[in-house]
Amino acid sequence: MTKKKLLVNIFGPILSVVVLISIWQSIVTWGHVASYIAPKPFDAVRSVTSNWSTLAPLTWWTIKETVYGYLAGALLGAFLGVILSKIPLMQRVLYPLLILTQAIPIIALAPPLVMILGFGVMPKVVIVAWIVFFPVTVSVLDGLNHVDKDLLTLAKVFGANPLRRFVVLEMPAAVTQLFSGLKIGATYAVTGAIIGELAASSGSSLALYQRSASGSLDAAGVYGTTLIMTAIGIVWFLLVVGVEFLATPWQRRSTARRWRRGAKPVLPNN
Amino acid sequence: MVLNQYYQTTRGNRMKRNFLSISVAGAVMALSSLTVLSAGSVASASTLTSVKFVYDFPGPDMELIPVVVAAREGFFKKNGLKVSVEFPPSTSSTTQLLTTGSGDIGFITTSDMAVAVEAKAPILSVANYSMTNNWGLFAKPGSTLTLASLKGKKIFSWGDTWTNAMIPFVLKKAHLKASDVTIVTGANDTPLLMNGTIDFTTSTTNYSIPGITEATKSAPVGIVGSAAGVPNVPIWVYAVTHNYANQHGKNVKKFLAAIKAATIWASAHRAKAVADFIAAYPKSGYSKFYSTKGWDLTVPLLTNKAGKYFVQTNAQWTTLATALKGINLIKSIPAPSTYYTNKFIP
Repeated sequence: MTKKKLLVNIFGPILSVVVLISIWQSIVTWGHVASYIAPKPFDAVRSVTSNWSTLAPLTWWTIKETVYGYLAGALLGAFLGVILSKIPLMQRVLYPLLILTQAIPIIALAPPLVMILGFGVMPKVVIVAWIVFFPVTVSVLDGLNHVDKDLLTLAKVFGANPLRRFVVLEMPAAVTQLFSGLKIGATYAVTGAIIGELAASSGSSLALYQRSASGSLDAAGVYGTTLIMTAIGIVWFLLVVGVEFLATPWQRRSTARRWRRGAKPVLPNN
Repeated sequence: MVLNQYYQTTRGNRMKRNFLSISVAGAVMALSSLTVLSAGSVASASTLTSVKFVYDFPGPDMELIPVVVAAREGFFKKNGLKVSVEFPPSTSSTTQLLTTGSGDIGFITTSDMAVAVEAKAPILSVANYSMTNNWGLFAKPGSTLTLASLKGKKIFSWGDTWTNAMIPFVLKKAHLKASDVTIVTGANDTPLLMNGTIDFTTSTTNYSIPGITEATKSAPVGIVGSAAGVPNVPIWVYAVTHNYANQHGKNVKKFLAAIKAATIWASAHRAKAVADFIAAYPKSGYSKFYSTKGWDLTVPLLTNKAGKYFVQTNAQWTTLATALKGINLIKSIPAPSTYYTNKFIP
């Protein structure tokens, strides 16, 4: 990566956030928007920092719901993707059902889940998994369905068994697609957790804190919790991007690193 | 009994019912602009003054009957008004919609009013809707519900300002700490109550009794008002911004005059009033039984001991503010006149 490209990659997103905050600040300041309607950006941040002792456990709780649900959804989604790809009959039978699951409004799903699973972390985990598994399944299925047929035939000719063909050819071919699904799921995961919290929670939660702040016309509190929720989603997305970066080196270079080929790295002389 | 049936029949069990699904429906209603109630009784729009009324909940229910009747039976028209109804995207947005000019006259809880004044929102209560506090705790028919039985129990809350404000009073009267009970906040109480996931729910008589009765065919058990330890203050008021009161005071007077006439009419012709509501909002999600029972329970709440509508008092606002300060919902107790005026009451 060139130095210029690196700078653009780093400072581009920062600049866009700064511009966004500036627009927000300008609208609230010059538009004389009352503080109970919309706060200034730094008031929202201040609301988070000054109430962090209250918000920290709630944030941690939401992160746990998001992560557990995401991992469950991702594993289920990948597994289903492989199964549907390998067993065409299953694909014909189950695929419409999978689409049906996504047609159900998640807000309608939340209350019955609470009745069945209680007020704890489980209904939230299920909701997040429900949201995440579908894009992962579709991505994996798509990836596996588009493996080069000639390569598969060649591997078969050379005597590779189905497991070896899957590990050596199909899985790497589907990884890029898999990460597309994982990234889509990562952005939606926190939304699922918040919907679950709104459906029913014992004690408190980030969503209920926000609702309470809204009821008290504490716009800074409302926007502050929104910032936290957004941050959870962004950080989780970036983590997935990071894993993708490490797991798919072929996207950046056409050959494996030298140390992977058994050679010692050659250090430049100068 | 099938849970789904409970779910469908209990949308009215507020304080704030089925928050999520109704919020979506209400948001759609709000976005699709105004639901004009007139349906044939309003004459040429050019001769009438338009007023936007913002309800306190994302969907219509039987407490809207005075407004519906005023529109459908011609009371607004008689007073020179054409009133449209808007539904807020959430239970706590009405005051904000008023201050941004998205609504002219709003329907809010008195606790919302107190919070708005605390936040320096220029809101003024112009009339009481109800006169007493009919909020309380409810349980399944046949259950034991006393203040002494609350310890260790799961109590449902709608998470709105009013419920948040009232629960500490109940705990105080029961000599309990917050940690002695589990407060469950959610979107719909009756299914949870029926399957035993929660022990008690919180609501008002005119919403909870019809909802639970409809679901179980029996009246719920409840402790309400002062028996539950809550201050006896009105729950709902009509409110406007100071700016609207100053510039369009005549509209406020006309609105309240029409509402008073409509309320008297709707109290005398309850079946017809409910029919008007159902005709105006056939897809409200409430059954005829629910709306009829709810309106029957609402009517006695609308007048004070002297039989007067709307009249607010210094005492009600001082009591409320003192109570809310006691539980740290507000920091200061302003003069009662900060909250209200009776000058627009007909």
